[in-house]
Amino acid sequence: MKNPAIIGKSIPRMDAPAKVTGRALYADDLKMPAMLYGKILRSPLAHALIKRIDVSRAKALPGVKDVITGADIPQVKYGNWRLVPQSQDELALAVDKVRFVGDEVAAVCAIDADTAQHAIELIEVEYEELPLILSVEEATAEGAGLIHDESKGNVSLVRKIDYGDLEEMFAKADYIREDTFKVHPVQHAYLEPCSCVAHSEEANRVTLWTSTQTPYIVQCLLASTLGLPENNVRVMKVQVGGGFGGKMELRPWEFCASFMAMRTGRPVKFTLTRADELAFGRRRHPMSIYSKVGFTKDGKLLAKDFQVMLDGGAYNAMGPTATFLCGTFGNMLYNYPAYRYFGRHVYTNKPPASAMRGFGAPQAAFVAETQMNMAADDLGIDPIDLRIKNAMQTGDVIPDVATISSCGFKECLEKVREISGWDAKRKDPKPGKGLGIGCFSFISGGVFNWFNTKYNFSAAEVSVYEDGTAQLATMACDIGQGPDTAMRQILAAELGIPIENIRLIAMDTATTPKADLGTWGSRVTLMNGNAVIDAARKIKEMLIPVLFEEMDLNQIHDIGFEDGRVFVKANPKKGLTFGECVYKALRGRRGEPLTARGFYTPRNKGLVSPAFSFGAQVAEVDVDTGTGLIKVEKMYTAHDCGMPINKMAVEGQLEGAIQMGLGYALMENLIMDDKGRTLNTTFLDYKMPTAEDMPPGESADVYTYEPEGPYGAKEAGEGLAIPTAPAITHAVHQATGYRCMETPITPEKVLRALNKIK
Amino acid sequence: MAMPEFQVHQPKTVEDVLDLLGRHRSSVKLLCGGTDLLIKMRAGAQTPEHLVSLNRVAGLKTISYAGGDGLVIGGAARISQVGKTAEVRRLYPGLAHACSVMATVQIRNMGTVAGNLVNAAPSADTAAPLLAYGASLVAVERGGRRQIKLVDFFTGPGLTVLEPGEMVEAIRVPDVSPRSGSCYLRLSARSKVDIAAVGVAGFLNLDLEGKVIRCRLALGSVAPTPLRCPEAEQILEGQTPDEKLIAQAAAACVRASRPIDDLRATAAYRRAMVQVLAQRVLTQSLDMAKGGTP
Repeated sequence: MKNPAIIGKSIPRMDAPAKVTGRALYADDLKMPAMLYGKILRSPLAHALIKRIDVSRAKALPGVKDVITGADIPQVKYGNWRLVPQSQDELALAVDKVRFVGDEVAAVCAIDADTAQHAIELIEVEYEELPLILSVEEATAEGAGLIHDESKGNVSLVRKIDYGDLEEMFAKADYIREDTFKVHPVQHAYLEPCSCVAHSEEANRVTLWTSTQTPYIVQCLLASTLGLPENNVRVMKVQVGGGFGGKMELRPWEFCASFMAMRTGRPVKFTLTRADELAFGRRRHPMSIYSKVGFTKDGKLLAKDFQVMLDGGAYNAMGPTATFLCGTFGNMLYNYPAYRYFGRHVYTNKPPASAMRGFGAPQAAFVAETQMNMAADDLGIDPIDLRIKNAMQTGDVIPDVATISSCGFKECLEKVREISGWDAKRKDPKPGKGLGIGCFSFISGGVFNWFNTKYNFSAAEVSVYEDGTAQLATMACDIGQGPDTAMRQILAAELGIPIENIRLIAMDTATTPKADLGTWGSRVTLMNGNAVIDAARKIKEMLIPVLFEEMDLNQIHDIGFEDGRVFVKANPKKGLTFGECVYKALRGRRGEPLTARGFYTPRNKGLVSPAFSFGAQVAEVDVDTGTGLIKVEKMYTAHDCGMPINKMAVEGQLEGAIQMGLGYALMENLIMDDKGRTLNTTFLDYKMPTAEDMPPGESADVYTYEPEGPYGAKEAGEGLAIPTAPAITHAVHQATGYRCMETPITPEKVLRALNKIK
Repeated sequence: MAMPEFQVHQPKTVEDVLDLLGRHRSSVKLLCGGTDLLIKMRAGAQTPEHLVSLNRVAGLKTISYAGGDGLVIGGAARISQVGKTAEVRRLYPGLAHACSVMATVQIRNMGTVAGNLVNAAPSADTAAPLLAYGASLVAVERGGRRQIKLVDFFTGPGLTVLEPGEMVEAIRVPDVSPRSGSCYLRLSARSKVDIAAVGVAGFLNLDLEGKVIRCRLALGSVAPTPLRCPEAEQILEGQTPDEKLIAQAAAACVRASRPIDDLRATAAYRRAMVQVLAQRVLTQSLDMAKGGTP
């Protein structure tokens, strides 16, 4: 299918100039008259009863305008899984008990940040310490104490998938392997720490400017926790400096800012520090994983038994979704005649884990891909051949999950074999060097309505004007991934007008159509893109009759929208400019503006996602066997993201994903002590790779046309963060013989495996 | 904690600096790059009421090399400046390497070598190479000046023999004789923009027959202070180094180290890396020394 020229072009992001010149406004840039500064008092203990809180000295400090504790707020728990109310387990401020180091205990607002900080230090809290539970094994052991008294155990949620005859398939298998893995926690480390400003001009109404991926979710949960109608809460756009899943829930500071803004009548701002983020912020789930796979001797997959315990930390957060997706991606890439998944989300006394780029999938793929590579070695089959033998393809069905409507996985495997020089390099191995492969698949948005919204999943409103311009209003969020540009490309393609002529209003829950579930699960391009197309086509239906009337056309004619013109396709000279056409339509409508709304909710697309991306990645490493240091020399990627909307944005996603995958595999790790305290709370000791650590890369695009996607597009960002860690793990094994079963790979682990450290 | 108020003084001469240090003796700090000090002040770990800036003091940023007299690095010379100086790169490659890879570009452009030493972090990157080159510090106070050998300078993490009222005016590094070689190697998890988890510096000077006249080896990040390894040095001095001897010397370096387990590495890994890095440092230094004048 031929797409309009603007689709698939490389367009620099339209928000980039403002961001690089400092003109872009983030939440912390906002300052309002009489604004107060908020600070949070956090628990220094990982598990304790609160016996007494004395805020009198804080309240008496001059300049302090409000001090609140758990006793002051409505006792309405929140959580993103509204569909399962018992999963909603959080209060903005702790009541009676703290469950992790950093649990929010009290909040203060004052005339300046120093006074607020001083006031925090004047609050006295008396705790009674409880035994700590810092691992999933302890949490699920018999007789373990309860982290949430009202839950039956520390397992907060269970997800099972079961199809095919597992026992029979394992009985048929010639080769079976059972392994256990542990994966570690890492953090999003978005550039912009969380920040928000709340203001309440009218009593019982509040406006919140916040760094979020999900304004609609924040609006709804803020309303329920404040005891207000949803319509009384407005969440407004600011620039968002990255999210990666870490900013997709209602957060305590958003509640505290809004609650105290209503109480004081003054705007209240909260801004977190980097140390707050690293010590207390959301993170990717650590997991303990058991996996058993069976193959025939010629490499056909027969069965997989996949058992996972997710270390969820003190609250559910987005853990339930991670539990679901971990199971879904345990079998996504290959055809398993029998598959059983048993996932348990477990409470521990640690900062809550939540969504992070691929939530659940990176861990599942790390295990699946590593076992694939182990099996390839044992079966004596090339790892790429083994994958091709079992790979998903277009039309394949995963029971209860999805039908794969487009899949370029096999092509990706062939392509990556070619660009990486796989065959030649494997034939001639060099000491200390290795080549490894990892693959991925990911969703293009979720189908399962855990937020229990009453609205369509995505919506867009398009207005067109007689000066040839258009306005696009949508709740969808650009958090740095590029939809503010991509959505305008889609609209420009539909209406045939220059992208510069489109003004965008985004992320304002009061003025954009309901709803958009937010930026997560790689859903925006596909879902919001479809909503934009729906709205644009309704606008075109308003404009087409003008041409028919004006030109006295036979009804068989088709009308084109290109180059700022509306014209007869059979005779392109015959037509009007876009602006003239809008003008005439307005006259015909006696002044009623041309505005249309479009919506998208996936239909008949199974439980998981309307479309799946696929890809394969090869890592080339050089290991210094004296020091154990690993240098990733080059990354080769072939991926199927459908038809890209903005090629440059896809390239950016790929580079960013490699940076994140590299950190996950080799450097990043949140290190905790035996009191549940996170020790590395600066970028000096939380080792995120820098630009100077980035290996060169080479990539090949495998284009498929996804029928459900706008102009054939599907997911292009999140999935790419998945294959890097297993690919590097495999390459390190090829180079040294060390197979990482417990991430991250560190120089010390390499040397221990080589018996160079006792 | 809010940062308490403080006063910044900007004297133009060393005499004025010393006067200010004396006058505000009870609560004063020298400020140059501020890359360590300001972080500590923001965290409330340092609360000086007076900061005396060295940035406008004439002549303090000078880096000069004179054959025979060696290298003199002014007390306010920036790390990046030192790393870019041609003579440093040619004759003191270990120091040049430390000055071009430590910390970040921004910190290297602001921070000073003297500050890196006075801050006395066990991981201070310039310390190990300067120890290996046999450097001394010129410390001045109102009563006069004294020369302190760098090997006697550090007394613990963040601690030195510098007295209140004293400042480091310059760092003196002896000239490098012909048939010398030197090298500094450091390890960190990130390839760039990182603190060293282990650092080893070496210096070798050979006689005409290839015997070691002088050897200095120094370690960073593996003890409460950067330190020299006299036992290892003695193993090599007077000998013609070979692989076996180098391995023995490296093993003596390991014995000199007193590493701990911390976030950045375990003690076991650090010990193993002292061995590996010391061997590499000695091998590279030897190659360079054999190549004639470095």
